[in-house]
Amino acid sequence: MKKLILASAALAFWAGAARAEIKVVTASSDLRYICERVGGAEVKVESLSSGDQDLHMVEPRPSMVFKLKKADMVVRVGLDLDMWMDSLINAAKNGRLFYGQPGYVDASAGVPLLEKPEGKVDASMGDIHIYGNPHYWLDPANSKIMAGNILAGLKRAAPEKAAVFDANYGAFVRELDVKLAGWEARMAKYKGLKVITYHSSWPYFARRFGLDVAGHVEPKPGIPPSASHLDGLMKKMKAENIKVILTESYYPRKGPDFLAGKTGAAVVTAAVSAGGAKDVKTYFDVFDRVIEGLEKAAGK
Amino acid sequence: MKKLLLLSAAVLVFAAGANAQESAGTPPQGMRGTPANLPDVSALGNITGYLSDDRADTGRNELGINEVETAFQGYIYPEMRADLILAIHKHDGKYESEICEAKASFLRLAEGLSGEMGKIHLDFGRINKLHSHHLPMADRPQVLANFFGDHELAGQGGTLKYLLPFIPFYTQVQAGFWTMAGHEHGVSADNTADVLDTSLSTVTVPALIHEDADFSPAGKVYTARLNSSFELADKTELELGLSGLKGRGAHYEEHMDNVEVTGVDLTLRLWPSAYKRLTFQNEWLHLKREVPAGTLNRDGFYSFLNYRADKYWDFGARFDYAENAWPGISYERALSGIVTRHLTETSYWRLQYKHRNLDGKNINEGWLQVSFGIGPHSHELE
Ligand SMILES: [Zn+2]
Repeated sequence: MKKLILASAALAFWAGAARAEIKVVTASSDLRYICERVGGAEVKVESLSSGDQDLHMVEPRPSMVFKLKKADMVVRVGLDLDMWMDSLINAAKNGRLFYGQPGYVDASAGVPLLEKPEGKVDASMGDIHIYGNPHYWLDPANSKIMAGNILAGLKRAAPEKAAVFDANYGAFVRELDVKLAGWEARMAKYKGLKVITYHSSWPYFARRFGLDVAGHVEPKPGIPPSASHLDGLMKKMKAENIKVILTESYYPRKGPDFLAGKTGAAVVTAAVSAGGAKDVKTYFDVFDRVIEGLEKAAGK
Repeated sequence: MKKLLLLSAAVLVFAAGANAQESAGTPPQGMRGTPANLPDVSALGNITGYLSDDRADTGRNELGINEVETAFQGYIYPEMRADLILAIHKHDGKYESEICEAKASFLRLAEGLSGEMGKIHLDFGRINKLHSHHLPMADRPQVLANFFGDHELAGQGGTLKYLLPFIPFYTQVQAGFWTMAGHEHGVSADNTADVLDTSLSTVTVPALIHEDADFSPAGKVYTARLNSSFELADKTELELGLSGLKGRGAHYEEHMDNVEVTGVDLTLRLWPSAYKRLTFQNEWLHLKREVPAGTLNRDGFYSFLNYRADKYWDFGARFDYAENAWPGISYERALSGIVTRHLTETSYWRLQYKHRNLDGKNINEGWLQVSFGIGPHSHELE
């Protein structure tokens, strides 16, 4: 009997503990990382995509609906990168997560955007991002804004734990500031370094660290490189002595390898999100590895 | 007067200056960008070339616009959406305009509960609710054509969908009630038949014209569907569905038939890497058709295997088995090979080859399909 009571108590405690966690679903693994940092032990976070996936092209699946149905909070990348979240949020019919509800967090809110198209946008420009470039998390400084949006969401979900979240947020920002200063110091000698990138994923990163993105392997967003485009790019690389090609890990290597073979440039393959490669476990690792890669390539 | 002139000149200069300033950001004529409060407007076209060695096929060896569709989509209220999809289809060589779908969706009536009203593609199995340009193939599986007719089966009515709580995986149940127009039986003086009257002399009377010889359910139709999804492993998803439908036949006045269709579907999807995807999709349908003379039981299924090799290419194969819905039973087996090249998310071209065996008669068919979408597109859960 005593054992039974103990077991029930343990079960009740466990159930209580499980219920107390704030269940968060994020669109990307970077958002999961930041959420875990700000939420600490109070949150259980799942990401709908893994770090090696192309966020432009995540396929909505019923199991994702199921995760959203149980969630207290959803965090999206926002803009038009994770439009696939719309149908999932609708299908989950979870009142907390609809647009404008307390459990809805758009991590991009307040991020100063680059490459905002002016005037008319259409498919002649490729698969263009209509609200501006959504790859903003690749400027590590923007993660303060992202973490701030998440902090506000968590406070709405559990106002009684606001002090914990504030402390976690503070610790995250302090660590980020230290790391950012280190990355900026390492990148200082590459100010003005010309690079070619596969997709236009890197304008925020380039602006932060003073790189000059001189061209893209894709002729237009989402359009595969043609022979004539690669030829033009090769000539440009030779003329301007461009020695670094930066490519997201999920894109095909054919175009970058061709250019590297013709020009002697080095290809830096970079995971753009946490979990995108074996040695890229956290959001901070993304920058550690990209910068390592660039140092190696530029020092060659 | 002088003052007025000066003022006008000043206004002119000012206006010209304003124009010059604006011109940098002004788009070309007719392309003024989108006012923020317009619904999402999109259009698509489907150009299809169809080849067949069946001489009885009147639509064979033609290339042309097969379908034009426009969609207006947006919110009408918080948590309420409207979708209007209007189309012009080619049907038996003629263009016909129709309301494909026109529905209001209540995204959340209660926790886990949503509803839709209007004219809607019935959520039966995996394929019927999809618009043809969203299909991973140029034609519809034969069993759907035999049991549901040439087009997606659509009804006017409403449906409720409930996402079950307390179950550790995705499970949704839904039930709908619909009315569907039967096929028209016109009479015309041009179409006559000779019959014997009571005095056994021959008289000529107008006869029924079948506007459409297809079989499909119609009248008051009840539908239900249960579908579940299991994440077998990371990036591996198994989906199971059960569907049911009860109604009458589309030519009820003539055949006095009651119809029941049951369906089972099973889909396995795997995502081995960022762009690769393997899909194995299977659907089996059983038709029970009660006519005054007895009960017809008919079966059909298709099995579809598709491999998405990268962002741009899909390779698929489909096996079809289908019995027809008529008293004189026919058996059809078909094998199709499908290659799709995606340009964007809404535009692609496709080649398809199909070998059919219909009661021992061999038919070869081929399609070239170019499908393009203009405007914003939604990313629906399929
Ligand atoms: Zn992009």
